[in-house]
Amino acid sequence: MPGRKAQDIGDRFIAAIGVYAPLLRMDRQAAAKALKFSGLGGRAAGRRAVAGWDEDALTLAVEAARGVAEAPDAVIFASTSAPFIERSHATLLAEALALGADTRTNDVAGSRRCAVAALLSTLLGRGEALVAAGEKRAAKAGGAQHLAYGDGGAAACVADQGAARLIGYSSASHDMVDLYASHEHPEPYAYEERFVRETAVAHILAPAIKAACAMADIASSSIAFAAVHEPLAGCWRDIARLTGVTAPNLAGDLAQSLGDLGAAHALFAFALACDKAKSGDRILLAGFGSGCDALVFEMTGAMPGAREAAASVNSGRAFDDYVRFLSLTGSIDLDWGVRSEFEQKAQATALERYGRDMIGFIGGRDKTGNVQFPKSRIPVRPDAVGPEPLEDVRLADLPARIVSVTADRLNFTPDPPFWFGLVQFENGARVMMEFTDADAKGFAVGDTVRMRLRIKSHDHKRGFRTYFWKAAPAQRPPIES
Amino acid sequence: MASGIKDKVAIIGMGCTTFGERWDQGPEDLMVDAFEEALADAGIERGQIEAAWMGNALDDINVGNSALPLAHALRLKSIPVSRVENMCATGSEALRAAAYAVAAGAVDFALALGVEKLKDTGYGGLPLRTKGLANDLWMPYGSAPGSFAQLAGAYAARHGIAAADLKRAMAHVSWKSHQNGALNAKAHLRKAVDMETILKAPMIADPLGLFDCCGVSDGAACAIVTTPDIARGLGVANPVTVKAVQLCASHGWETQYGAWDGSFVANTRQAARRAYAEAGIGNPRADLALTEVHDCFSITELVTMEDLGLADEGRASFDILDGRFDRGGAQPCQIDGGLKCFGHPVGASGLRMAYEVYTQLLGRAGARQREDVNLGLTHNLGGAPFNSVAAVSILGRMN
Repeated sequence: MPGRKAQDIGDRFIAAIGVYAPLLRMDRQAAAKALKFSGLGGRAAGRRAVAGWDEDALTLAVEAARGVAEAPDAVIFASTSAPFIERSHATLLAEALALGADTRTNDVAGSRRCAVAALLSTLLGRGEALVAAGEKRAAKAGGAQHLAYGDGGAAACVADQGAARLIGYSSASHDMVDLYASHEHPEPYAYEERFVRETAVAHILAPAIKAACAMADIASSSIAFAAVHEPLAGCWRDIARLTGVTAPNLAGDLAQSLGDLGAAHALFAFALACDKAKSGDRILLAGFGSGCDALVFEMTGAMPGAREAAASVNSGRAFDDYVRFLSLTGSIDLDWGVRSEFEQKAQATALERYGRDMIGFIGGRDKTGNVQFPKSRIPVRPDAVGPEPLEDVRLADLPARIVSVTADRLNFTPDPPFWFGLVQFENGARVMMEFTDADAKGFAVGDTVRMRLRIKSHDHKRGFRTYFWKAAPAQRPPIES
Repeated sequence: MASGIKDKVAIIGMGCTTFGERWDQGPEDLMVDAFEEALADAGIERGQIEAAWMGNALDDINVGNSALPLAHALRLKSIPVSRVENMCATGSEALRAAAYAVAAGAVDFALALGVEKLKDTGYGGLPLRTKGLANDLWMPYGSAPGSFAQLAGAYAARHGIAAADLKRAMAHVSWKSHQNGALNAKAHLRKAVDMETILKAPMIADPLGLFDCCGVSDGAACAIVTTPDIARGLGVANPVTVKAVQLCASHGWETQYGAWDGSFVANTRQAARRAYAEAGIGNPRADLALTEVHDCFSITELVTMEDLGLADEGRASFDILDGRFDRGGAQPCQIDGGLKCFGHPVGASGLRMAYEVYTQLLGRAGARQREDVNLGLTHNLGGAPFNSVAAVSILGRMN
């Protein structure tokens, strides 16, 4: 908008950032090898982050958002692959983080730009806001997107002070159909790459970036790092040429190592840029999809969460089993046998009574200090003689260790085996629970674990799912090169 | 002060069907066969039964809820008939109810019958629950082997036993029960299996392989109980009597309070203490001629030997490998094949255990008969090690 000035923004910052990549990384070369007969699959380099069967856009966003904002006024959930049409993920996310019931919540979607668009809105607004994006996008096996996409989450806290100050921005609304997905066609339908490259770069991205730099009153060459969501891999060279930005684009590297993370992509790349930046550096953040939002920040200090974000890219578990990849991404529907037929219907009344304690992992502390889960009218303490009020205690963020465990190969799970066992928390609470994200050596008595929010039950027949916490290894191994 | 149930109730008739994959038998067939055997054994008229308890654990599989399936199958005419359910301890629960009714003087003759028709599920293992309420929002949905397998890792960690050594002791448990089951015409699995086969079997839930798991079976078993005086009046000079029936249920502490390490079953220990006191047993290793315990999985039997005080803590695997609990050992366990090979139709298992002890006490066990059987113990465990119902019963001769 002509005449818009940086000083009109006021002091608005990104105060903290968080990202999350699922454990598993599919080797694209292995996938290409499996697809060799067909000549399909697209680029064969790098890896793609693959969500576990019990992860979805919400759980990925929750993991990214943990610890990013303590008590935001508003929570915005952004995704193009959210599991529910009518049931707010932002509300679920707020409950998963045990935020107050007076938190404003809203879901945004519409294009993969939605997270950056929401971030800009909150930067131009007031109060503290948490923007959390999660993406686990469907794509058809053999299509370029199936391997190009990745699953992941990213989140940012917007506040009146922080480590990255917004100094300029520009938006472009432009219905250029590079690809689309719809209710009738949930997988992406993509148009010719040459058309996309030439149109998106010249008519959408480059003008918006130049306008953002102009508003910030900086030379584009002064940008230290870019986090620009490219419509397709390899667009950055043309964007840089047209805008004069000479900085490396970390979003391009991210697409190579984890895949295109959709709504979470630019935010995730921004976190990586923050890790590399020093105070005074300028970072360009741009979201793309049905237009562009370009934002320029100036670093004022170290960004909380950035160091962990950078480390997360290189920790995980590589795999090359294409059939497992097809199964985890829903591209094949294996016959899991009769034991998989059991009823998973959840009752809304039970969710209303217990659901918040479940998704928030809230136990109770009795009058002697003992913490138990779940809560009960009469505490589990052996000398309890009657009902007592229990004080809420959140268990999700506490370290724990394994008391007993097994790898169950009988009961159905979409990614065997089914690990579960007894977990002891350091505050004395103990919970018999499911495990997830097993590494190559599995789990053993005495291992330390951390809690991850995951899908607990998935009722495919009725299209419903419930969430609970599962124990995961406390540390992830470095990914093999 | 309660005086307990010792010698207040006599078992005058028992019946038990062949356990197994009874494709040709419905639950009513199983109930009728078990009952007719018991009735003939007792030598009374069916009209003399004044009250009955039906044990059935999984009501959504074929048998159906309430006690009406029993009343219909046996055509019990206008008497009180109740269904009891306490997971895998259901059979013992039915016996306990009938025994208490007689001991209380409420009736002269009572029937306890356990039945389960598991092989109508269409798949291996136990039926899957279908409720979808509060516990399903958080509780892991592991299988029975998955729940009991956790005893093994915790036990090995507590006692510093190498996984391979524990696995060998577990394999011996199963090897022994297969040896015994081969001699039992009513057993589900009647084939001896060598140790290597057991050790190399496919994994079900680490470290439980296929042969560490009991049979999932159809079957029924029952008991007719009365007072010792009435039994003597019927010509049974020295009847089999109930010396103790004790039950102990988790109240949640194992997984919610304290520092239970997962390596033992506390309810078994508590129920055993009470049962020994009720029966007046001071030294169970010397006093009990044999035991029938809840060997749903090999590790369960191993741990139960310690929980019942029949082996020192941390030493059960050595006693097992030494053959103490083999058929020819000092204190045989599962001389009929146990859950492992006789089979495990859940609601019937507690009564099946009593049936074997009763048979041994009366010297009717044929090729597997032990000498000098005066007292025998049954141990029936419902649920999982971390959330269980344990039943311990002791049967013996009146004099």
